[in-house]
Amino acid sequence: MPMIRGLIVTHGAFGEEIVRVVEMIMGPVEGLAAQSNRGLAAAELQVGIREWLDEGGDGGQGAGAVLFIDDLAGSCATAAQVASGGDRDVALVSGVNLAMVLDFVTWRDSLPLPELVRRLVEKGREAITASLPERED
Amino acid sequence: MDLVLARIDDRFIHGQVSVGWARKLRAERIILCNDAISGDPWQRRIYASAVAPPVEVDVLDRARTAAVLADGAPGGDRTILLVGGPADMLDLLDGGMRPAEVNVGGMHYAAGKSEMLEFVYVDRSDLNSFRRLLAAGVSLVAQQVPGGRRWPIDEPMIAAAEERL
Repeated sequence: MPMIRGLIVTHGAFGEEIVRVVEMIMGPVEGLAAQSNRGLAAAELQVGIREWLDEGGDGGQGAGAVLFIDDLAGSCATAAQVASGGDRDVALVSGVNLAMVLDFVTWRDSLPLPELVRRLVEKGREAITASLPERED
Repeated sequence: MDLVLARIDDRFIHGQVSVGWARKLRAERIILCNDAISGDPWQRRIYASAVAPPVEVDVLDRARTAAVLADGAPGGDRTILLVGGPADMLDLLDGGMRPAEVNVGGMHYAAGKSEMLEFVYVDRSDLNSFRRLLAAGVSLVAQQVPGGRRWPIDEPMIAAAEERL
């Protein structure tokens, strides 16, 4: 099965650091990159994402792409939506976290895009837990 | 309509606006004024849904924005106006809008532009528009977020940026 590619679109260096940490854990990873909005106008950010999507064009044989976004209502989300142009082979997933990206790298060459995306959302949510110290009255 | 912020920002709607300014100013409406976005149904839909209720978003071209601002009676929705560059703000001024102050929130780097501030890059056309806005009696203040540092943009600052081009 062709490999699904991933681009982490975030504010500042957040996405770059996620890629770096994923590679610290799993070794070098192909088809995973980061796009920061740092210093970019909306139109330039859209171009950056579009160019990355176009790099993966292989005559319709590609498995698709996931655009990971940090903030659901920011410039990254808007630019990702505009750049994807409603492409059926491009999925947007917000609230990116490390668990989600590690799962993406693990499963992207064995699941089709819709199933993979459902799994990523589930695993990303599962990774969010809280523990409070018990009170000693 | 109560225009609570007139802002130049080439990212249009993003966190600084939808969270920072909209909450601080208790905005009820955002007018995004841009001909290209207004003319593209896909982008218009995305930007119109980029802010959570109860804030409403109108994506309008320059002509429609000028008409809406001209018709706006005092009171009503607390409104943030967003344009992508100073030339668009100048067009709206020529159309009759008279904000006391224009917030310069973000003009990012592009080829041929030089740095005026960390978040304001300008070319000669931008500087000419700034000069015309000042000549019309509008105060120009560069400020990214509420409570952040305010840099008044005046003729010495414009001249210094012009020398760097």
